[in-house]
Amino acid sequence: MRVRAWRRHMVPYLLIAPAIVYLALFFAYPMYEGLVLAVYDEDAVLPVRAEPTLDSAEVAEIPQGGALLILDRQSQAMIDDDGATDLLTEQWFRVSGTGDTGAAVDGWVSEARIRVRSEDAAGNPLAGTVRPRLGQSADPLTDVHAEPNDRSGVVGRLEQRAPVEITEVAVLEVWFLVRPADDPGEAAGWAPSRYLQVFDDGERGRVHRGTAGEFTTAFIERMVDDRFFGPALRTTLLIMALLIPLQLVLALVMALVIHARIRLSSGFLYVFALPIGMSDLAVGILFFSIFTGNGLLNSVLDGLGIIDGPFAFLTAETTNWIIFAIVLAELWRATSIVMVILVAGLQAIPDETLEAAELFGAGYWQRVRHIMLPLLRPSIQVALILRTILAFQVFAVVIALSGGDVVTVLANESFRQYYDLRNDNVASAYALFILLLSIASAVFYLRSVRAESEVRPT
Amino acid sequence: MAEIRLEHVTKSFGDKVAVHDASLTIADREFLVLLGPSGCGKTTLLRAIAGLGMADSGRIAIGGRDVTYLPPGRRQISMVFQSYAIFPHMTVRDNIGFGLLMNKVDKAEISRRVNSAAELLHIEDLLDRRPSAMSGGQRQRVAVARALAMEAKVLLMDEPLSNLDALLRLEMRAELKRLLADVEATTVYVTHDQIEALSMGDRVAVMRDGEIQQCDAPNTVYESPSNRFVGSFIGNPPMNFLDGTIRRSNGGVVAAVAHHEFSPAAEVRPLIEGLRGDRVTLGIRAENMETLTDPGPDTVPARVEVVEPLGAQNLLTVQVGGRLMKVSTHPTLPVAVGDGLHIRFPADQIRWIDPATDKVLYTR
Amino acid sequence: MSSTAPADPPAQADAPATLPPLDSPEVVEMHRRMRRRAGRGRRLTYVAAVLIAAWILLPIYFVFSMAFTTQETVRSYPKNVLPFIPFSADTMQFFLESEGVLRGLWNSIVVAVITLVLSTVISIPAGYAIARYLFRGRDLFRLSVLAVRAFPIVVLSIPLAVLFLRAGVFDSVYSLALMHTALALPTSILVISSVFASVPYELEEAGQVFGATPFQSFRYIVVPLVLPGIAASGLFSFVLSWNEVFAAAVLTIDNRTLPALVLTSLSYSPDAFQFAGSFFLMVPSIVFMFFIRRYLFNMWGQVSK
Repeated sequence: MRVRAWRRHMVPYLLIAPAIVYLALFFAYPMYEGLVLAVYDEDAVLPVRAEPTLDSAEVAEIPQGGALLILDRQSQAMIDDDGATDLLTEQWFRVSGTGDTGAAVDGWVSEARIRVRSEDAAGNPLAGTVRPRLGQSADPLTDVHAEPNDRSGVVGRLEQRAPVEITEVAVLEVWFLVRPADDPGEAAGWAPSRYLQVFDDGERGRVHRGTAGEFTTAFIERMVDDRFFGPALRTTLLIMALLIPLQLVLALVMALVIHARIRLSSGFLYVFALPIGMSDLAVGILFFSIFTGNGLLNSVLDGLGIIDGPFAFLTAETTNWIIFAIVLAELWRATSIVMVILVAGLQAIPDETLEAAELFGAGYWQRVRHIMLPLLRPSIQVALILRTILAFQVFAVVIALSGGDVVTVLANESFRQYYDLRNDNVASAYALFILLLSIASAVFYLRSVRAESEVRPT
Repeated sequence: MAEIRLEHVTKSFGDKVAVHDASLTIADREFLVLLGPSGCGKTTLLRAIAGLGMADSGRIAIGGRDVTYLPPGRRQISMVFQSYAIFPHMTVRDNIGFGLLMNKVDKAEISRRVNSAAELLHIEDLLDRRPSAMSGGQRQRVAVARALAMEAKVLLMDEPLSNLDALLRLEMRAELKRLLADVEATTVYVTHDQIEALSMGDRVAVMRDGEIQQCDAPNTVYESPSNRFVGSFIGNPPMNFLDGTIRRSNGGVVAAVAHHEFSPAAEVRPLIEGLRGDRVTLGIRAENMETLTDPGPDTVPARVEVVEPLGAQNLLTVQVGGRLMKVSTHPTLPVAVGDGLHIRFPADQIRWIDPATDKVLYTR
Repeated sequence: MSSTAPADPPAQADAPATLPPLDSPEVVEMHRRMRRRAGRGRRLTYVAAVLIAAWILLPIYFVFSMAFTTQETVRSYPKNVLPFIPFSADTMQFFLESEGVLRGLWNSIVVAVITLVLSTVISIPAGYAIARYLFRGRDLFRLSVLAVRAFPIVVLSIPLAVLFLRAGVFDSVYSLALMHTALALPTSILVISSVFASVPYELEEAGQVFGATPFQSFRYIVVPLVLPGIAASGLFSFVLSWNEVFAAAVLTIDNRTLPALVLTSLSYSPDAFQFAGSFFLMVPSIVFMFFIRRYLFNMWGQVSK
């Protein structure tokens, strides 16, 4: 390859910019999101505050779902509404009338203290009367505040049933002073209603939703505790253990056949490479058509008189047959790509090198063992990494052959968590697990090969 | 005892005949060079001897054993490849010992032979290194050592020096010649480089279009080519060829070339008289003509067209009766383009060629 | 005289054994036997080649004949596999008339075409940059593209689904095409860069020496030479998108592509439906393999470099 000499201008960066932006947007960012989904619960805890305002200090954090004792309530101007649905609100009215001292009073009173007597056409309150308080000990007077909340100064007091004009309406959110129910020693703090669920008695409740995220292993624990996790992992590893050695041997044979440059070699290469472009789902169905009750295999076995009547290969009682069919399907589908990698590796070995070995007395299998295999080592390494990573993703073949229940694999569980159970976090935890296994196996292959070559003198 | 005998060996690739009816006997311990332009079939013939490309027909016998269709590993031969074909994943020691290991030679003997081959090539200190970091010259030595360690009766070499740069090639050529003189093997050496061929071979077989044109000692091939092709292929500059007409006059025969008559030497005369047509071609090497500033009794006038000083000699392109030819002169002879010269053709240096067959009529 | 080509070489005195004449029956017979033995490995290779070809082709043949037969034949047992399964368009007709199939086919085509165009358009400049310029970060870029290629689709699909849902572009063929482009891009970039690298830069320089602008020499010299390779990489993107099932099933609900439709209906669809579906899923890849066979090693062989 001829490469232009180093240039100071930005042309190459401009050329790769679209690809980088695209991959960042649709590869790196989702990858990061996936990681976050698996280990980060974005509404895990609710901070509670010293005062019922968002700018006051946090005094404690209560985890999502935590039981609460409600100590007090207060209304506060509505904090920015982020589409919260279940908030508890309260209206305050700005009223003007005559106070208990006979002076004119103008200020704010909670809707709980005012009975609206008249409204305009749009339903806005215009005038009302102060509600009487029930009970002997109750204060017969109602405080009028300077601002629409309890904490502001009292500007005057109204007699019960005093008529007032309503000049302004404010909608406030209720805040609660809460303390964790199971831990009375914990400091109490204020939290707005939208994050809480208040029980009927008005004295207890629970944290409905947190506002602060928290790293958590909860999703990973749920994945590990899932009853399908063990079987899925075991089956995935079993399929790999059976498949990869078989695949390597078959791919090597195919590559050697192509490399022998027999007549029609390019035709054979085309046929051998056919499965590379094939959909895993289609191949799953293809092997289903062979192994199903009235499929090809039974028809042939029956025709040869080996069995008498169809044998059910793909049932819950014959999971070994299902796994066998999956391995066979994957062997059929994914060996070709290993073959292409190996053929490319063989083509990189000069003819004279093999001829030299032959001339110096190496028979065919000796040439394979002493010359081709050692020189194919990098290709084999790449093929192994690729195949192992892909083997962790076996998915559609499994569904096509087993329905996804009887025999399950990791990718299928990720799909099930997302699709059937609607649990993005656990689904992402599975995805993350697959990613970690892939990276670990790649590192393992790279390491083991390097370690071996370090032993030899260079 | 490893005489190599080729009988009517023919090999084609599809429609293309690479080697046609080659027959040749290479004596035990002889050093034979197969020389020819690229595509002449010399490598194909070597590979047929090696067994790397089986002949279509004919017979190849080594030491009296018919090996025509024997796999290469069973022919008891050894070879140095053009690209050296060093096994890149093995140390030099394993490379040299590979053939012995494959032939189940015991360990002590392998180690002895590997060491002595390495010593011979002065690569003892490379034995435990990998070829990847080695220079072309070092690899070449490994390839030769690997071939020699086999101690085979037949040693084949396929353009072993062609991948070296010019200086190294010169050095290696001499060293190989010294080395192979001590090796008791029949050697077949393929090259397209005539200097290599002439300087190294006991005999040189010149090939063209799949056929062996001539197989003789280097001097003979040079002095006395068997046909026009050999004369033109060997030697730098190639032999000059002048087309002439035969004139038969009372009791004698002469060839007329550009108003000048050449009389054949006595031993050639009957052969020319026997020619059927009246055309003949004269061949003469550039260094075999005498260049004179003054006309003599049997000189031909010529005009200098190009002067190429080459150091030890000047190479002139001169025009003789409308034909161009190359003449070498001593650098002290003062000539310039456009000068007139007089050239004398010694009768014993003229090769007479039948234009119908391109064969030289008389060879010593 | 020269010793060229003696017709019948005289037996040399020091030859250890004299061989019988070349045309004697024993020599002819021995040569015939030896040639047969030398060709034994070659014949074994042919046997292996034919066996492997059968292993690849027979299942394809079977499922294709299942896709073009009557539904009775699909249900029947035992089937008479040889010589032929009766041909009929019945299964295919049933499949195409099933609900959602034509729409799924159309969706698949739309997604695959968008993927092809988008990935090619983005890959051409990036591939050209890798092949032609030496710039800081070039190796890093190449390596990350290589690494990205091996990433599991599963890992990408679920967060993307969540993100698309959040952005309100969920269940759309266009957002699925965006995802498929991300999957196709790494391979596409590497293949196109190897295609550009195979056109010597001297050709472009020669164009410029003879008076073309850099763009003209790209347009008239490089483009015609790389067009087949770029077409191959585009086909690759098309087939990748056509086949992709995990992301398609995760990212769509009503706008199913064909594989997503077949996958999610596996548990209740009749066999005939599945077989015909698998036929449709396979056909593009067979065509694709035919057109890209020259580029097979560009695409997958050079992974190791």
